[in-house]
Amino acid sequence: MSKKRIVIVSPGRGTYSRETSGYLKKYRSSAKPHINWMDEMRLKNGYKTLTELDNSVFKTSVHMRGENASTLIYGCSISDFLSIDQSRYQIVGVAGNSMGWYTALTLSGATTIENGYRIIHEMGAMMEKEIIGGQIIYPFMNKDWSIDKLKKIDILKKIEEVNAYVSINLGGYLVIGGSQNSLDKLLKTLPKIEKFPFQIPFHAAFHTPLMEEVSKKAFKKIPISFFNKPKIPLIDGRGHIWSPFSTNEKELQDYTLKDQVLNTFDFTRTVEVALKEYCPDHIVLLGPGNTLGGSIGQIIIKNDWLKINSKDRFIEFQKKDPYLISMGEPTQRSHLF
Amino acid sequence: MFNRTEIIDKNFTLRVSSAEFPESHLNHNFDYLDFNKNKLIQIFESQVTSRHIDIKARLLKDKGKCFYTIGSAGHEGNAVFGNIFPYTDMAFLHYRSGPFFIERSKQINKTTPIYDLALSFMASSDDPISGGRHKVIGSKELNIPPQTSTIASHLPKAVGAAFSIDRSANLDLVENKIVPNSIVLCSFGDASSNHASALSAINTASWISAKGGNVPIIFICEDNGLGISVKTEEHWIQQNFSNKPYLNYIKVDGLNLFDLIKKSKQAERISRLERKPVFLHMKTVRLMGHAGSDVESGYQTLDKIEEAESNDPLLHSARILIENKLLDKDSVLTIYENTRNQVNHVFNYSLNRPKLETAAQVMTSISQNQNPYLIPECPAEEIRNQVFGKEYRRIDMPQHMAKLINYALCDLLLRYPNTLIFGEDVAKKGGVYHVTADLHKKFGSRRVFDSPLDETSIIGFGIGFGHNGFIPIPEIQFLAYFHNAEDQLRGEAATLAFFSEGQFSNPMVLRIPGLAYQKGFGGHFHNDNSLTIFRDMPGVILAVPSNGLDAVKMLRTAVREASTSGRVIVFIEPIALYMMKDLHNEKDGKWSFTYPKQNEEIPIGKFKSYGLGNALTIITYGNGLYLSLQAKKIIEETTKKEIKVIDLRWLSDIDYPALVNEMNLCKKILIIDECRKIGCHGEGIFYELSKKMTTKVKIKLHAAKNSYISLGVAATATLPSRESISKKGIEFINE
Repeated sequence: MSKKRIVIVSPGRGTYSRETSGYLKKYRSSAKPHINWMDEMRLKNGYKTLTELDNSVFKTSVHMRGENASTLIYGCSISDFLSIDQSRYQIVGVAGNSMGWYTALTLSGATTIENGYRIIHEMGAMMEKEIIGGQIIYPFMNKDWSIDKLKKIDILKKIEEVNAYVSINLGGYLVIGGSQNSLDKLLKTLPKIEKFPFQIPFHAAFHTPLMEEVSKKAFKKIPISFFNKPKIPLIDGRGHIWSPFSTNEKELQDYTLKDQVLNTFDFTRTVEVALKEYCPDHIVLLGPGNTLGGSIGQIIIKNDWLKINSKDRFIEFQKKDPYLISMGEPTQRSHLF
Repeated sequence: MFNRTEIIDKNFTLRVSSAEFPESHLNHNFDYLDFNKNKLIQIFESQVTSRHIDIKARLLKDKGKCFYTIGSAGHEGNAVFGNIFPYTDMAFLHYRSGPFFIERSKQINKTTPIYDLALSFMASSDDPISGGRHKVIGSKELNIPPQTSTIASHLPKAVGAAFSIDRSANLDLVENKIVPNSIVLCSFGDASSNHASALSAINTASWISAKGGNVPIIFICEDNGLGISVKTEEHWIQQNFSNKPYLNYIKVDGLNLFDLIKKSKQAERISRLERKPVFLHMKTVRLMGHAGSDVESGYQTLDKIEEAESNDPLLHSARILIENKLLDKDSVLTIYENTRNQVNHVFNYSLNRPKLETAAQVMTSISQNQNPYLIPECPAEEIRNQVFGKEYRRIDMPQHMAKLINYALCDLLLRYPNTLIFGEDVAKKGGVYHVTADLHKKFGSRRVFDSPLDETSIIGFGIGFGHNGFIPIPEIQFLAYFHNAEDQLRGEAATLAFFSEGQFSNPMVLRIPGLAYQKGFGGHFHNDNSLTIFRDMPGVILAVPSNGLDAVKMLRTAVREASTSGRVIVFIEPIALYMMKDLHNEKDGKWSFTYPKQNEEIPIGKFKSYGLGNALTIITYGNGLYLSLQAKKIIEETTKKEIKVIDLRWLSDIDYPALVNEMNLCKKILIIDECRKIGCHGEGIFYELSKKMTTKVKIKLHAAKNSYISLGVAATATLPSRESISKKGIEFINE
């Protein structure tokens, strides 16, 4: 039987939560040596180990902090990735959302597991003392997950008015980045829709020009020697595909430490390019959690992919033979094994 | 002869594995090229992708699932152009440009070239450029307007677009679409270079250059030595184009990546820096025949076919990459097989994407425009006063049509900064009938200029300038001359919105003085009385005013329509009525009119009724109206019955419900058409009315005879006249 072709998506910040607490313990077997190495590194640098964090009771003030959350998620995603049986599945592309981009670098072979950890750690550590700005998440889709273009235009106008930025295009949501002052204005002016607008705790204004200093510092800490040509095609937050043969390592460093740090991460486009240029049999969303699953579903609907054109149809499809396999969702994870 | 596609495919793997590469007589050194090695590998990846797309298309065609198989195999060298030239350089590409398209797509991060091409091959309505209407190479974001054919009909507009770039400098037009200092690329095959339109365009580019004008264009002739089955002689292209004045000829080996890079940069320097036309002659091979249905063995010997295959550009590229240690053979083969796998899956998925099904779906894009322009305010009176000069005092005096159109053009040039007037003798001379008199003096050579005596280039300019945000108002000197260049309108301008779902537009108001009745002067070629061609161009609007007052208002509507809907409006000006002042008697002044206020327009499809009588309705236009109004007087005096005469004004977009309603009390309809009976608009109107009239009516058509126009006193012998219309009308009423 021929291998099933899959595109891997690694999640961003905010996916290690109370609900996913203990995720590493549950699934880490295949990544144990790597997690152990990361634990050693963290101990050496004066941080709690991933194992300790994963085993302890979830505390927002601890687990959601950049220096802990990022590496926890990285560890969980690496662990999930290594458990995929590559004799049954051909990984045709790797992508990530926001911080998941760093994970994707590792998974594609564009950096090593160790250097991937270092990149994530350095990028998180630079904001350990002071978080620059913040992020709000806000939907522009309808209840059935169809896109409301006019609503989006209206939100974009409001974002511009307060000098905030689109941090991430996230399916039916916009993640808005900006200074706290800008975000406070938006929190007041954007109409309430259920829990939104919602400010994501411990998140900085990632993917906005506010990160300029962070980007500059990053070049001093993360050398070009960390970057290789990927072994698997890598799809970035603009929808650009980095080829295993023609990737320019300097350009990859520039994109990673500058372009995507300062500009909108267009995850919607990332998934669209993955769908269209690879037409995979499945999209596999690595853990922890599956909060990105909804956004991926919205992108699938937007593109009428596999003739899935509504939330109901997506849910129906997912129940029968999930196209999107979220490894953080036990029932879907079982489809992989 | 076996399956050549399969053989070419297998040969690549076998020959790379065994390092049996074709040799090259060129010996470029990569170190001196100043080119990034990763970019070179990327170009190779694009070449391989295009090849697998061609292979897959053939496989699917055999299963009846792919509708177009003219591919790019053998032309993979054009991927280099997709890399060297920035995507802001507008590119008019022929159908073997898959590698160019794929490589250029990589300049913009979010593109999906494999999927987009698959949708196009499969005629899916999801195809982002033509929506399933044609397999075209095109993309709005990549500045590649879609082309459908290789009859070289895209060359004249490419020249127009190139000519427009520096012409728009400093005009500060918000509508401009091509960035300053860019150039235009235009590719075509060796056989296509023989087309009249190709020769016309290349000649015009040289002509402009000779006059000191800027035409930054690179004509890329991809010479594979065959036009379907007909051989192009070995040195024909070089002999034909290497010695043209003001044309820089460069020959490039299309099989050799290094030569392609070197010569592309050389061509770019001339074109971009010196703003001069270049003819880049790319020698290459054709693989897999002309198209999937072409049996090459019917006209080529096996030796010749195998010779071309042994020079597969992919093998040449692989050799260069391996020799220069940029890739090893395993990597080359991995790229080849991984790409095959990727293309297969994308194409297989695309098979199930939706297709156009209904006529309404197909036709949606005929007059679609996704980029309407804003309508500027009318110019202030003090500015008009200044620009009109001494004419400003005469503007409220009754004038004939030629003068009134002149005023209207002046106002339009003032109001719409992106309008241009050009044609033969329109500048200093002011046109043969002085319709454009003084406009050159008032607006300068940038806005009003003479074209070469070549109608193909005039319309080509119109389309090309239209691509760059202008609203051209070109003039074809006489109607008969239009037929010299009709494909530019029919095949190109009229179809652009259709094949791009309105993403691209070439708005234009094409003024053509025409029709007969010039009192014996000029003979057929100045009195041509056939508008049939315009009946047959979906989306094109046809205006035929019969008097100066209507002409002004209709011309304003035409420019507004071009601005907002991006459509092409053909504006026929009846020459015989240009200087007409009187209707019934000498000096009655009834055909002279006062220039209407600036905001007065006549909506498209709005006809005008003269009289209220129901004994007979005459439907007509142009000279027919003038004659019918004369006849009306005679008919009414003779029969003592009142009749009605309707001037259609617009011969396309006829408002039939309103027309039917206008005539619901009338039992007899006489259609007067000054054009030749077979194929005239009256013929179509006759048919439509016979279907649409809700009351029982008799309809007759009185049109010109199926003849050409003679010189001298017999000039009107074949045409409807005041007398013949009167006679037909009286007889019809008395029936």
